[in-house]
Amino acid sequence: MYGYHGKILKVDLTQRKIYEETFDEEFAKKYIGGAGFGFRWLYDTLPAKTDPLSPENKLIFATGPLCSISFLGSTGISVATKSPLTGLIADSDMRGRMGGALKATGYDALILEGKSSEPVYLQVTEHAVDIIEAKELWRKDIKETQEKILSKINDGKTVVASIGIAGENLVKYAAIASDLRNFAGRGGTGAVMGSKNLKAIVIRGKLKTPVADAERIKTLIKEVNYLIKTDGSCDTLSKYGTWNTIGPANFKGILPTKNFQKTTFEYIDKIDGDAMLNSIWVGKRTCPGCAIGCRHVVKIEKPYSVSPDLEGPQYESVAALGPLLFNADPVTIAKANELCNLYGMDTISTGVIISFVMECIDRGVLTEDDLGFNLKWGEGEGILRAIETIAHREGIGDILAEGVKFASKKIGKGSENWAMCVKGSEVPMHDPRGKKGMGLAYATALKGADHESSMHDEAFERENVLPDLGLKESMSRKQFGGKPFLVKTLQDYWGIMSDVLTICKFPMIPPRPLTPARLVKLLNLVTGWNFTIEEFLKTGERIFNLGRLFAAREGISRSDDTLPRRFAEVLSEGGSAGENFDQDNLQKMLDEYYHLRGWDNEGKPYPETLKKLGLEVD
Amino acid sequence: MSVTVEFLSVFPDLRGGKRTFSVKPAALGKIMDQLEDRIPGLKEKLVNQEGEIHPAYVVILTRGEVQKLLKDVACQVKDGDEIIVLPVISGG
Repeated sequence: MYGYHGKILKVDLTQRKIYEETFDEEFAKKYIGGAGFGFRWLYDTLPAKTDPLSPENKLIFATGPLCSISFLGSTGISVATKSPLTGLIADSDMRGRMGGALKATGYDALILEGKSSEPVYLQVTEHAVDIIEAKELWRKDIKETQEKILSKINDGKTVVASIGIAGENLVKYAAIASDLRNFAGRGGTGAVMGSKNLKAIVIRGKLKTPVADAERIKTLIKEVNYLIKTDGSCDTLSKYGTWNTIGPANFKGILPTKNFQKTTFEYIDKIDGDAMLNSIWVGKRTCPGCAIGCRHVVKIEKPYSVSPDLEGPQYESVAALGPLLFNADPVTIAKANELCNLYGMDTISTGVIISFVMECIDRGVLTEDDLGFNLKWGEGEGILRAIETIAHREGIGDILAEGVKFASKKIGKGSENWAMCVKGSEVPMHDPRGKKGMGLAYATALKGADHESSMHDEAFERENVLPDLGLKESMSRKQFGGKPFLVKTLQDYWGIMSDVLTICKFPMIPPRPLTPARLVKLLNLVTGWNFTIEEFLKTGERIFNLGRLFAAREGISRSDDTLPRRFAEVLSEGGSAGENFDQDNLQKMLDEYYHLRGWDNEGKPYPETLKKLGLEVD
Repeated sequence: MSVTVEFLSVFPDLRGGKRTFSVKPAALGKIMDQLEDRIPGLKEKLVNQEGEIHPAYVVILTRGEVQKLLKDVACQVKDGDEIIVLPVISGG
């Protein structure tokens, strides 16, 4: 097999048993890698209702065949587990070097199960796999942990992935970080790692993975990189990173502000792309093999110290820790982002939880006495204090660490009405009232509200955007019609297949040059296969349906494919004034979407759909 | 008689940090010519040889409460209109 070793490393932390399993090319062709492998193994090995924080849960790190090369961040890795936040599969796509490093040890995937009796870390090289005592690392943040481990190695090639204190404390939206700056952020993968008493994974390898046609891969990479540099499609991403979204999101009226009570922010000029570049930005970083370079380095000395060693806030973090909390201070946003990174907590969930509490205070459901500290819209000290409280599970932080769905049920008094989540996953920073496809994507995403499960509506306001996928007609971001087909297609292609191939999603967004044709060609050149675009898309559909079967087995059905009530309220101002996302339209979209997917009225795949997709399940 | 053109998170190096420009009403192509004098290199980046807006960008005309996409240089822009130039893509 080209692009694979055909080997899985399995570690049972309870029994301290380390062993290998193999897979064949037929399996590889069907699920390809990354999230595809993760979904299949989780479906096959986790009985329904398995407690995500029990030793029985699996934590899977899976590479794809493109980890054999280094191109547009393809050395990232998929982290899959049963989410403690949602009870569904958390498939989190971590950029950086970890996938390439694991591949270089001779393994395509690492599956962890059980629970160590004491804190440990795992070390994997091509020569040995060791479970090492980690008491001295426990209670250390992510930076201290990784620096301490690397101080003993310091070869520049070793990759360390670790949890912080939030993961140790089982915060339900705790993250895993590799190389300090790459996060498996959403869904609580870090809490699962913490529940296994596993503080870190250290990977070092030098093995090459054979590819089918190295020369033509080089030519294709050169062609795409040339276009990235010259065709103008990546210029703003390269210059601003994802900060290119802040001002435009405000202009379009889709920037969540004050817990989604509105979608435009009065102080946008203080935090938009230009403002961020001129205030806290000191440089940028790139992922391995990337010609774009969209990642921010920020540095601040006063009034808070923010280290350039960590990752600066991306769009989602700026919005979740900024306008969502009515916070217009780039310094506070960067500090809050750094705290989340050091403790290892998802910034989207953290921002949504804090804004939920702020609204509870506004509405008299909670008081600052209940919190033990001051927490007001836009006040930085309170925001930072709230993050500390959650990470350490102090006082009310113990409830907030469980996620907004749990917190609203616990607090009650109508607070469910402003708990912004879908299937327990906090809503990302794109208000669906101004982009209806994103609303349907939130409602139907396999892991609850997820902004990376489907491309965003704005890219399709032109004609012939992705003709290879049948997406030829232009449609307004605000229209409902046509969106079920758009979302279904893009979930299978962009949402799933980028996580399967562990490659960055950004260069795949049209008009950027990593088109479906080029991506499929790259897969074929690495593996020696002859996939067509249709087969590639069908693979995405197969894996998506497998994820839906997992969810259905956990009890998910049509009534769960919904949106927070707030989105039925009509926006009164801004670029999406007059827009809402009501239940009638959602139900009509679901009818069409289920039909297109070959699902019954409750959202469960028909047997003939599974047969058509070659999906064998019990 | 003027039209306001605002740049949102695009071409920061070309425009030297200035966000908003005032030009005379005209067809969008003529407005581009006016802007080119003050933002050298803009036209080449924003408009292709067929006179269409580059697919990586969106040009939106705001007239009162009405907003519409401007797709090519022939589109007419009137006194009091506002034009916003922004990247087509969003998503963090």
